Amino acid sequence: MKTKLIGATLACAGLLTACGGSDSGASDGPVTVTVMTWESTQTNAVIKKALAEFKDDNIKVELLDTPSGQYGDKLSSLTQAKKLPDLFWCGNDTEQQYTQQGLLVDWSSKLKDSSDFGADKFVPSAIANWTTADGQMGGLPSLMNTYGVWYNADAFTAAGVTIPKAGWTWDDMYGAAAKLTGKNGAKYGLVADQLTGPDGPFTMSMYSVSAGGAPFTDDVNHPTKAEADAKYTEGVQKLTDAVKSGSVAPPGYDASNAQSLFAAGKVPMMFGGQWLAAGFQVDKPKVKYGFVPFPQVTTPATLYDSVGICTPQYTKNQDSTFKVLQYLNTKVWDAVLPESPVAPPAYTPAQASYFDALTKAEQTTVVDTVKADLAAEKTVGVRFTTQWAQQVGDLTTAEYQPIISGKKPITNLPAYVEKINGLIKSGG
Amino acid sequence: MNRSSRPLQRGNGPGRGKGLSRGAGSDTVAAYLFIAPAIIGFTVFVGYPLIRSFYLALTKYNGLADPVFVGLGNFRRLFGGDPAFWPALRATGYLVVLYVPLSLILGLALAMFCNQRFRGVRIVRTLAYLPVVLPAVATITLWKFILNPEVGLLNTVLDRLGLPTSLWLQSPSMSMPSVVLMMLWGVGGTMIIFLAALQSVPTELYEAAKVDGAGPWSAFIRITLPTISPIILLQVILQTTAALQTFNQPKILTNGGPGFSTNVLMLSIYNNGFPNLGRIPQLGYASAQVWVLFIVIIAVIALAAKFTSLWTYSDNTPD
Repeated sequence: MKTKLIGATLACAGLLTACGGSDSGASDGPVTVTVMTWESTQTNAVIKKALAEFKDDNIKVELLDTPSGQYGDKLSSLTQAKKLPDLFWCGNDTEQQYTQQGLLVDWSSKLKDSSDFGADKFVPSAIANWTTADGQMGGLPSLMNTYGVWYNADAFTAAGVTIPKAGWTWDDMYGAAAKLTGKNGAKYGLVADQLTGPDGPFTMSMYSVSAGGAPFTDDVNHPTKAEADAKYTEGVQKLTDAVKSGSVAPPGYDASNAQSLFAAGKVPMMFGGQWLAAGFQVDKPKVKYGFVPFPQVTTPATLYDSVGICTPQYTKNQDSTFKVLQYLNTKVWDAVLPESPVAPPAYTPAQASYFDALTKAEQTTVVDTVKADLAAEKTVGVRFTTQWAQQVGDLTTAEYQPIISGKKPITNLPAYVEKINGLIKSGG
Repeated sequence: MNRSSRPLQRGNGPGRGKGLSRGAGSDTVAAYLFIAPAIIGFTVFVGYPLIRSFYLALTKYNGLADPVFVGLGNFRRLFGGDPAFWPALRATGYLVVLYVPLSLILGLALAMFCNQRFRGVRIVRTLAYLPVVLPAVATITLWKFILNPEVGLLNTVLDRLGLPTSLWLQSPSMSMPSVVLMMLWGVGGTMIIFLAALQSVPTELYEAAKVDGAGPWSAFIRITLPTISPIILLQVILQTTAALQTFNQPKILTNGGPGFSTNVLMLSIYNNGFPNLGRIPQLGYASAQVWVLFIVIIAVIALAAKFTSLWTYSDNTPD
């Protein structure tokens, strides 16, 4: 009986171990490095093919078959169960939060030791934002997200509005939105979820920074204060007026269909990321479209955001894992991006394949805008990456969005900022 | 002689007591064995989580590090500092007030209609119940398309008919009624229970009422409603409990928006416990919210049972 019990226990333990993604194989054979992405099945197939080219007799790379949906829930469950794979796709906020909890491997020393894979080979803002306050790097940035305004050139031409180009102003944008509203079945001239949604206060920083004012917060990773100076307040007032006039979609607008509505010609102008280009390349909207940098007041300013790849602290073979990580960042994008140009790599030598693919697809406005964004001197973070960021989202819904909707006066803005400062001080 | 001494006396008889005692013992063991799965299941899946969640409600816990005891800190934040909590309670209350009476009235009306004898009544019953058996996520997603203000079917039809349209789910004032409208799509579940109740009302009561000259309305008020009142009480409790725990519809249709207009308590709990990618879970805080919801459900059900029992019909006549 006792033998059976021990046997059953061992069998259960074996099953549990097999379920874990971060097991590194037998000690005398090649070690297995597991990888988990949030990509689609098609993109994962290309990544898998590219990973098959990774040659190292001591390392076997296994791309985990995980559906892309509900990646956040999956990541959360695997984190709590301590079963994270050796390499997993993560956002800048996850990297910052997990590193602060001591959950991730710090790669900063590896970058310092490498000449061809050093920090200077990455987009500088990405390296800066992936470094924690105490100098750790719990992951490496892999792809950059750049943002701008997608426009329907046909709608602009039909309405007699000048096609936007780099250097256009916020007034130009709101003016165009007003003229495009109600034309060809477009309910709103501009859909700008980044301005009216939960991240709106951060996006609005572009206005104040461009006008020579202060951003909403001094640092999204390690904030010491939030503020709404005169320039910032001016930007909020202009947005509020545009929403009130009905030319900009109000807070609460369901932007999940904006991309398909844009492709169908029902949304003439929308805020969005460069990754939409890959979708448009496949779906081929019937309208002539383009991508332009965000408007400015006096100098260019844009949003900063990037995604990357992280490694849990309990990974057994960190050296082998780093080799695969390096391969992912330097080689895999060359195979993936020509087929699906979703984003420019953070590792700058790998960016050529991205821009070549877009140029080949004649997406020249996307190439120009992405390059302009990557070179921008003034960038603002898209949202707090702190552990109490969720509470900021609730405050924004309760205090900031009603101001944009016109339900609360703009004089309430300082009170909202004061509450954010309270959160910063208390640490949530 | 008291009653408890009887078995002992019987047991003293030759050859009887011993056998009976052994039989009773094995019956007891068998009984415990039979209820063991239920007890184990309750302990593992209800009892332990209940106690654990109460402990977590008193801690700051994100699932990544060990819980840190904060006493009533989470409850202080709930009632004092969280800008989303009171709107979540209001949204939940509004949903209950809209949904429960409407589902009862519509369910009963549908049951009354389906309780008649006419050609094709079985098909009508099947069609009325069909939404209940369809996959919930699929039907909710379908409704999301129907209610889309720009390209949705509902606004297109209203527009063609020259009637006013609405932003539906994207309007702070219409979002909750739109969610309730979608929930009423599944009123067939309420109907089927009412239908069973209606079919158990003795027909001789209606025949007697008809002889006495009662019309359909009088028969409904004086016979049908009192007779099925225990079922109405059951439905009030079932529907209220379900409404207080509504999750799927607001999650898929609106994700709580616009603003906090459809951010019901269950959704708020979920979003705090299982936030979007990049956000750290607040499992301790979400547990505190769970306990508030638990207490609200118990209180509402107790009040409903207390006040509804005042007018509930019960057959106390001896057989």
